[in-house]
Amino acid sequence: MSGPADPRPPAGVLRVFRGDHPAGPLHEEPEAASPDPAGHGAELFLSVDAEGRVTAYNGHVDLGTGIGTALAQIVAEELDVALDAVTVVLGHTGRTPNQGATIASETVQVTAVPLRRAAAQARRHLVALAAAALDVPVADLAVEDGIVRRPGANAAVGYGELLRGRRIHLRLDEAGAVKPAAEHRLVGRSVPRRDIPAKATGAFTYVHDVRVEGMLHGRVVRPPYAGLDHGPFVGRSLVAVDESSVADVPGVVAVVVLGDFVGVVAEREEQAGRAAEALVTRWRGFAPGRDPGAGEAALRDNPSTPRVLLDRGDVAGGLAGAATPMRRTYTWPYQLHGSIGPSCSVADVRPDGITLWSGTQNPLMLRADIARLTGVAEDRIAIVRHEAAGCYGRNCADDVGADAVLLSRAVGRPVRVQLTREQEHLWEPKGTAQVMDVAGGLTAEGAPAAYDFETRYPSNGAPTLALLLTGIAEPVPQVFEMGDRTAVPPYDYADARVTVHDMPPIARASWIRGVSALPNSFAHESFIDELATAAGVDPVEYRLRHLSDARAVDLVRAVADRAGWQPHAVPQTLPADGDWLRGRGFAYAVYVHGKFPGTAAAWSAWVADVAVNRASGEVAVERIVVGQDSGLMINPAGVEHQIHGNVVQSTSRVLHEAVPFEGGLPAARDWGAYPILTFAQLPAIDVVTMDRPEEPPLGVGESASVPSAAAIANAIFDATGVRFREPPFTAERVRAALNPLPGPEAAGPAAAKPTARRRWRPRLAPALLAAGAATLGALAAACLPLRSAIPAVPRPDPAAFSAATIARGRLAAALGGCAVCHAGPSGTGLAGGRAIHTPFGTVFASNISPDAEAGIGAWSYPAFARAMQEGVSRDGRNLYPAHPYTSFARAPEAEIQALYAFLMAEPAEAQVPPPTRLAAPFGERRMMRLWNWLFLRGGPPAPDPARSAAWNRGRDLVEGLGHCSACHSPRNALGAERGGALHLAGGTVDGWDAPALAGLAAAPVPWTADALHAYLSTGHDPAHGVAAGPMAAVVRSLAALPDADRRAMAEYLAALQAPAAVAPESRAAALLAAAAAEPQGAPALGRQIYRGACAACHEADGPTLFGVRPALALNTSLHAARPDNLVRVVLEGLMDPAHPDLGTMPAFGRVYSDGQVAALLRYLRTRFAPDAPAWTDLDAAVARVRAALDAPRDPAIVEFPSD
Amino acid sequence: MAPTSTAPESGTITLEVNGTAVAFARPGTVALLDLLRNDLGLNGAKYGCGLGQCGACTVLVDGVPARACILPLAVARGRRVTTLEGLASAPGLHPVQQAFVDAQAAQCGYCLNGMILTTVALLARNPSPGEAEIRRELSGNLCRCGTHVEILKAVRRAAELMGSSGDAGADAGRRP
Ligand code: FES
Ligand code: FES
Repeated sequence: MSGPADPRPPAGVLRVFRGDHPAGPLHEEPEAASPDPAGHGAELFLSVDAEGRVTAYNGHVDLGTGIGTALAQIVAEELDVALDAVTVVLGHTGRTPNQGATIASETVQVTAVPLRRAAAQARRHLVALAAAALDVPVADLAVEDGIVRRPGANAAVGYGELLRGRRIHLRLDEAGAVKPAAEHRLVGRSVPRRDIPAKATGAFTYVHDVRVEGMLHGRVVRPPYAGLDHGPFVGRSLVAVDESSVADVPGVVAVVVLGDFVGVVAEREEQAGRAAEALVTRWRGFAPGRDPGAGEAALRDNPSTPRVLLDRGDVAGGLAGAATPMRRTYTWPYQLHGSIGPSCSVADVRPDGITLWSGTQNPLMLRADIARLTGVAEDRIAIVRHEAAGCYGRNCADDVGADAVLLSRAVGRPVRVQLTREQEHLWEPKGTAQVMDVAGGLTAEGAPAAYDFETRYPSNGAPTLALLLTGIAEPVPQVFEMGDRTAVPPYDYADARVTVHDMPPIARASWIRGVSALPNSFAHESFIDELATAAGVDPVEYRLRHLSDARAVDLVRAVADRAGWQPHAVPQTLPADGDWLRGRGFAYAVYVHGKFPGTAAAWSAWVADVAVNRASGEVAVERIVVGQDSGLMINPAGVEHQIHGNVVQSTSRVLHEAVPFEGGLPAARDWGAYPILTFAQLPAIDVVTMDRPEEPPLGVGESASVPSAAAIANAIFDATGVRFREPPFTAERVRAALNPLPGPEAAGPAAAKPTARRRWRPRLAPALLAAGAATLGALAAACLPLRSAIPAVPRPDPAAFSAATIARGRLAAALGGCAVCHAGPSGTGLAGGRAIHTPFGTVFASNISPDAEAGIGAWSYPAFARAMQEGVSRDGRNLYPAHPYTSFARAPEAEIQALYAFLMAEPAEAQVPPPTRLAAPFGERRMMRLWNWLFLRGGPPAPDPARSAAWNRGRDLVEGLGHCSACHSPRNALGAERGGALHLAGGTVDGWDAPALAGLAAAPVPWTADALHAYLSTGHDPAHGVAAGPMAAVVRSLAALPDADRRAMAEYLAALQAPAAVAPESRAAALLAAAAAEPQGAPALGRQIYRGACAACHEADGPTLFGVRPALALNTSLHAARPDNLVRVVLEGLMDPAHPDLGTMPAFGRVYSDGQVAALLRYLRTRFAPDAPAWTDLDAAVARVRAALDAPRDPAIVEFPSD
Repeated sequence: MAPTSTAPESGTITLEVNGTAVAFARPGTVALLDLLRNDLGLNGAKYGCGLGQCGACTVLVDGVPARACILPLAVARGRRVTTLEGLASAPGLHPVQQAFVDAQAAQCGYCLNGMILTTVALLARNPSPGEAEIRRELSGNLCRCGTHVEILKAVRRAAELMGSSGDAGADAGRRP
């Protein structure tokens, strides 16, 4: 296990080193304090202490594969000790040997070899000591659980006892003998992984869980050139950081800026997160180089150097003589490693050195980077390695380590830095795109004519970001020669040439599971399948004819047998099932890793069974039979789990995964834009392992991924007769090839004309309005009586009001939602200040607390009543109708009195809100006199005896203090609510559409009194959706009312509805049924985002989760004429629900581009509101709504220089 | 967003975590995940996406799986929260944890928290769920290591263990 070992020197020890030990290859020294195990410049592999405990050191780290367990098995086996006696220390600078980065799954295959020899050597030495101690010949001794004895004899001695008081150093014998496989009792047996219990209980300390005394929290703010690590702009683009933008974020300790490196440090994690989001940074414009989104073209265009790995026979002659020449190109996309936990690190930079807790793949390389970044000598830097989420290659683990060092150095305290999901997605060094060309063909006899293979691999090692951002490392592209893995085909092509075009990166890229071997094998194994088909030979048979490696032949046969492979020379021999075509494909590969010619890891072969929907293009991988020859399997269960993991992950990559790019930059920031396989799509997996205990163990971490793409592509070909040469094989791609449809825009319902926006929008042209303003103002001044000030009074003593009156006033305030607008900046109290955006300008809510100066403390009741009913302030000035006095004028007088009492009894607040300034003509408050003369109709309506008491009560509530019409009625050019048929016919408020409450309400399902009651009470009605925006606040406010009042409101509002033609229940059922199935040709990107980001909470048969599950088919916003409400909810989320039981929805404004939101909405509308006309100009609508929000998606402001 | 809110900026928020009442003076907007990890030192729930998409941060809220990354304290207020650490009565493992160990259902294990808690809640609702139901309930939990096969095996094993022990966990998230 990777925990630090006990630092106390044991009273006696045996150690096995590699390298020069000053005291010679074997020596004993007196037991003395020599706590540094590698202190002699030698590398320590193994130690056995006087308690018989064994510690094994390995330079590699556990990347989530349980490698520590396999290493412990190897050591325990050779030493003949119990598994529990062995502790494994992995990748820890200063304590473990330098064995390079943990890549290519070579831990067991390569780096465990010296460890195994060290254990065998230690055993020999200990047995020799025992022979001397017991006076028995070595040959007569046996060891069990670390106890040495002659079988059957009583006398015995333990390893620990032998070492007491001794200090033995052995130099590693690299050629020493190890146990023959026949004697293995632990190796080759499945043993449970040792780390799982702690992981299952939360006791395991991942790097994310490291806490250090006095630790602060950091977040980084990355530059706008996301995911690019070379180019003249890298490290040189920051213009300014506006620290004042985080002045009001509590807990901020520092804003750290070094070149293009920007970070914030705060006391608490959420404070750091808030500060990083709020921090305003300004950047120069930049021109990304080649567009990685251009795929094949980008790679062909990238400068490269050819490197010929193989040139045998006469390739040119073979190609020229081919009876059937074939040239094929295969293309691989950029993909993410996609660790499920974004990278995290804790750094403590002290004057005497640096400690860095890290999930790195390569502690020593990281240490060198930190030394370069800080100028601190390597021997004063300790990297403490902890497990992180599985990484499958190089992710942001090193980046975040360096980030943490910079932030800790700046504040002089330990700092933990957690990258966000968005940052990990955007910046991780992607698995690179790759292009493979094959020229070949068939001879007249159907044999391969020649094989000319070229592969293009743009990547580098993805230098640690902080080095680039601070300008310490030059942002120049470097070329990594890693395109050569399994570049040589496994078949006996007589005339063959293999060329790798080494090239610099385009997008930031680095190795990922199956580095270049997976794409290369995709080409090899697709091409040989094409050859077989062209030759009219069964694909497995054709492979076997040209495969001479005996272990490969055995494996291919075993896997084909297990799968029940039926030889066939043409595709589509399996019966279809309706629209589902069935197919089966084969592929074989051996993963060759390391620098060319490299080392072969385990052999692997796949048979994939797929079903392809010929209408939708959907590909379901139903079963994989996967075989592997891993040589000796240390822990067979562990090998099987690794195979499963490889099958699932590579199936995900092949079916679903490609990094999208927009404008040359990666555009996936979450699992919606970059989906991975879920339980729903899991194939059945049948594993065949070859039994080869006498063969050396081979790496098993990646091999089973390598045949994946070709096996699935070959299966799709078998099902459809169409070759797919570019993963991922998404429904969109497959459908487009099988069954071309018109584009999604054209395929949707007939495009509707944009609905005229009439609400709140002046019908009079603004110019006309402005021109008339002076006249109107003069008219108002001339014709209408001036209102006088009402004298100030001392604040009334709250004791003057009865408790019952105050309580009634509290309800009136709740009904009126006073606090919705008049709460103070903290969201409580009545100090006002909220900005209310109207087409005429911004009105700031006033302070209505009983403060004599700032609030209404000096207002007598008549002054208050006049403000409520006539819209005139105590000082005689007119109020704007953002204050809905036209509604309040219709409230019963007793309610206004009670409200006055309640407000006067609230705490006084001295805060003065900002002054309201409106555009002409409303800047002139006198104008409002004319306005009132035109539009103010006072007095509560007379009771209607023909209606129920509840209806009458409901009308008073809705039309009076409830002022529903203030939002839900359209307004005329002068901002007045329109009456008559347009009363409650829908309005807008603060950019939200407030749906119609009367007549033909816009909701897809007619409202009933019960539905309205549920909605007003809980903020949710299953047949309509969840209250969002200002309505959420209204529902919260109404919660204070007696239920009978909400019932009464519901009854009155229900009576306003036009009689429903269809029963609500059957209408709802019809809508739900219509939306249950995927519509043909539904927009693909939108569907993908929906599935990754929305479906878990909104799909009818999604998992059980806290909160309600709003059915989108019934959602009012989805059926609305304008998309604005829906856009707004997607961008802002609903983190502040009307009722806590509803649950929340996160904001996606920072996650999705305008185009992605538009794609999502296009899908939602097509699927969930199929009868509604498509929304047009969605991209523009998203941009418009986003621009109106307070928080734009990306705080970075990018300036493009004018020159 | 309107100023009245379930999430006022100040005031003490009380909730029950693993059977113990806890009170914190924190803004109601703070995510439950931050409180659990940074104030209570409960590391079972993991940060994975912050968007409710991956399930790494799952906790049980009144016995129902919830995404702690998008659950503000204002919503968690007054509720009963169970984390991975609170499943077992110390010492030992909850039957579902035991089943995950038995099935060796982890590669890196980062997703394990969400898988286990979702299973606990599922089995409390339905002690013998079918394959389709298991897959549906886990469909909001992502695993990048591809441990799906072992996880499904663990869920079936957990149903067995809980069925045989009679500890059907009728109330998910309550300490046995
Ligand atoms: S971290 Fe909460 S769901 Fe991903
Ligand atoms: S085991 Fe690693 S994410 Fe599931």
